[in-house]
Amino acid sequence: MAADFLTIAEAAELIEKRELSPVELCESRLARIERLDGRLHSFIRVLADDARAAARAAEAEIAAGRYRGPLHGIPLGLKDIYETAGIPTTGHSKVMQDHIPAADAVSVRKLKDAGCVVMGKLATHEFAFGGPSFDLPWPPARNPWDTTRFTSGSSSGTGAAVAAGLVLGGTGSDTGGSIRGPAALCGIAGIKPTYGLISRRGILPLAFSLDHAGPMAWTAEDCAIMLQAMAGHDPADPASANRPIPDYRKALTGDVKGLRIGLIRHFYTADNPANAATRDAIDAAAKKLEEMGASAREITVSPLADWAACGVIIMMTEAYAIHEANLRTRFTDFGEAFRDRMALSGLFTAADYIQAIRRRRELVDELDRAMDGLDLVMTASAPAEAPKIDAVGKFSILERPLLTMPFNVTGSPAMSVCCGYGEGGLPLSFQIVGKRFDDATVLRLADAYERATPWRGRRPNL
Amino acid sequence: MTRQELDAALARLGLDVPEAERDGIADAVKYVEQMAASVRKPRSVMAEPAHTVAFPEK
Repeated sequence: MAADFLTIAEAAELIEKRELSPVELCESRLARIERLDGRLHSFIRVLADDARAAARAAEAEIAAGRYRGPLHGIPLGLKDIYETAGIPTTGHSKVMQDHIPAADAVSVRKLKDAGCVVMGKLATHEFAFGGPSFDLPWPPARNPWDTTRFTSGSSSGTGAAVAAGLVLGGTGSDTGGSIRGPAALCGIAGIKPTYGLISRRGILPLAFSLDHAGPMAWTAEDCAIMLQAMAGHDPADPASANRPIPDYRKALTGDVKGLRIGLIRHFYTADNPANAATRDAIDAAAKKLEEMGASAREITVSPLADWAACGVIIMMTEAYAIHEANLRTRFTDFGEAFRDRMALSGLFTAADYIQAIRRRRELVDELDRAMDGLDLVMTASAPAEAPKIDAVGKFSILERPLLTMPFNVTGSPAMSVCCGYGEGGLPLSFQIVGKRFDDATVLRLADAYERATPWRGRRPNL
Repeated sequence: MTRQELDAALARLGLDVPEAERDGIADAVKYVEQMAASVRKPRSVMAEPAHTVAFPEK
């Protein structure tokens, strides 16, 4: 029987050496889903038959000497905004619960081409925005470290399923922090790659100009493996970048010597003050990175509220435009959190939106200037450990500026990295951000930090 | 924004918002107003939006 917890890299090595059967690995995950997901609600649809068929096919191919690479035979989950041919893709919403796409999203096709085994469709906040919600056709995902706690969102099911070992990795999307938030609160690794690196085609949109698809897994190395498969130019996505894709895993040298890091402390000490455990954990992580040979210095940029306002206006107005027709005709078919946020979105004016995208250009330039002479910037991903799920209000994203939003505004690669455990053993994290299209350096630092610290050795006790 | 103004705005949008949810939305309008003010910085009339199209050079 496969171990309860395996990384993609560990499982891939065993599969390649034929010491682990993809069928056995798939069955062990299905058994784990059966045993645990009644408490976690990370899946809204388990695709057991399809997964078994894919695992058998992978096993046969590998036995015939046609090993495709490190995702071959690996069980993954898909956030239920990633379209899947012939399988409902709902956005976790009553509004689209009967939507059956004709084709896979481009990134899903790429993952399947790499040989992965799709275990099912994962919970999300409604249309990647409104949650946690208790009035949708499926319940919200729960945090495996403490099932009374929030996973964050919107890639809530992916965060929970990866942390619980129900899948070895999964897909997320990030418009204001929807990969990095759940990665932070569920204690996993999640990278929002550079805007345009992964095709958005076939992924239900929240806000066209801020939406990023990306991988979530237990380690930075696993994220690198998934990103390698998902990235690449797609002429059918107008935002897709036509650039060479580096070897992300090869970039994981374990060495951070010479990397220059700018620490944006005011984001989490003054603008959205983090609790003491989070501040201490980030300070300790920065010190550790300096001991490893990186240099860190504090930098100051515009207040977090400026970045958040710019991003939230763009996000809410673009989302409103996408859902306007259904909002007018079937308002109460949406969950209350989503629909009431959308009602607020409708109050922004056209001039507000234009001023926000003018502000966006200024902020992109500002970060570029701030990163002159730096390789990376570092700040918090979340201000504290996961709160109680029933303590999260429907306008919570408006009450405090999102620590993750600045890097949606700029399109920069940004990653949440676990850096310890706080109250009740709940995960703490920091956020590391690179220059656009330098995703490899973000992954390199995250991987080196993970290998030099003990945090990846602890898993939820389920 | 007063509750009356909110009701009028929602009617103009064509949104059939349940009565029980309107006071909560009205309370949150302050965030919309704060953010809309926040993106209005002193800037030249020439300041371009981020979405200005740049065609690739041949």
